[in-house]
Amino acid sequence: MQFFKILRHLFIPHESNNQKAKILHPSSLSLIAVGLIAFQLILGFAHKAFPNVLGYAANISPAEVIRLTNVQRAANGLNALSENSILDSAALAKGNDMLAKGYWAHFAPDGTSPWSFFLKFGYKYKYAGENLARDFQDASSAVNAWMNSPSHKENILNPNYREIGIGVVEGSLAGADTTIIVQFFGAPLSGEAAIPVAKAKETLPLAVNPTPNPSFTPSPTPAEVVTYKQGTPAASITFVSPFNSTKNLSLLVTGLLILVLSIDIIVVRRRRIARIGGRTLAHLAYFGMILAVILILRAGQII
Amino acid sequence: MRDLTRHLSHYMALFGILLAGFAGLIIFSYDKNFQIGVALALSASYVAWGVTHHYLHKDLHIETFFEYLAVAVLGFVIIFSLVLRT
Repeated sequence: MQFFKILRHLFIPHESNNQKAKILHPSSLSLIAVGLIAFQLILGFAHKAFPNVLGYAANISPAEVIRLTNVQRAANGLNALSENSILDSAALAKGNDMLAKGYWAHFAPDGTSPWSFFLKFGYKYKYAGENLARDFQDASSAVNAWMNSPSHKENILNPNYREIGIGVVEGSLAGADTTIIVQFFGAPLSGEAAIPVAKAKETLPLAVNPTPNPSFTPSPTPAEVVTYKQGTPAASITFVSPFNSTKNLSLLVTGLLILVLSIDIIVVRRRRIARIGGRTLAHLAYFGMILAVILILRAGQII
Repeated sequence: MRDLTRHLSHYMALFGILLAGFAGLIIFSYDKNFQIGVALALSASYVAWGVTHHYLHKDLHIETFFEYLAVAVLGFVIIFSLVLRT
């Protein structure tokens, strides 16, 4: 009985709470805000104290990115792309270059193009393309985001490509912990000596596709043996995702407040309660907008 | 609901503020700082709307102001923490 009285006090307008659910009182709302801030501080602390338990790293396997890419290609009647270890190394080098130089773009601030990584590792291409993603929690979310972007989708479903390479790197980019996925596409030039080497040319604002250039292009530089460590999924499993836990908690708080505000409108109208305070309908609209923002915000960016 | 029809122009302004804030957060999703700025402006506008509405309705009290402030701060904290983690 006491439990129900507490629930009524918290969530339903009554004499005990001055005809307004206790959770809607400014003191309670402030307490919830403080609780949410404390939750973020705990998340930040936990990340530093237990990086292997609560990590910002994502569970992204390069093999899974390739598999999902080929699933999309198969669904569109295209041939599967075969994984090329040189492209894997080149993609990984591109990812590490972004972390080292602190940029999030197809071209480095010093002008280094994506294609220079192909050539650096000795991959002579007829066609080449690049998709980038960061901050996704899993391979599926990243591939879905690419497929929802026309320019990236065009890269994934380009019939000219024969091979694929994936680089997944984790580190700090502009002060933020991040996981970057570099997806390199290519069609090797081998066996087609009569056709000049492709020249990199940005044809799309988001994804770049070099096209064959009939004019003379200098030969690529010899392959340079550079080894990079590919992030292994087993070592980077995220047990608690900061974004998802924040989103779920926000949904819980906002959903609860919307429910209590709706009850408040009904009860106040039925009982014809007159009281001093803010407009419940306005609060409802405000938290409704917050709920829409929570539902729409997604972790992860693509270029 | 009676309040909505009685002060339709007030609520239209409120819905305009909320819509603009929502659009701003979505449109500027590529810039976290801008998103935080939009969230801050949205919260401040909500408090300003509440104060203006109650002032015109001649029932503005300090408790009412603190209620709008608490609601606005909570909304801002929710958006800020999410933007921080995207």
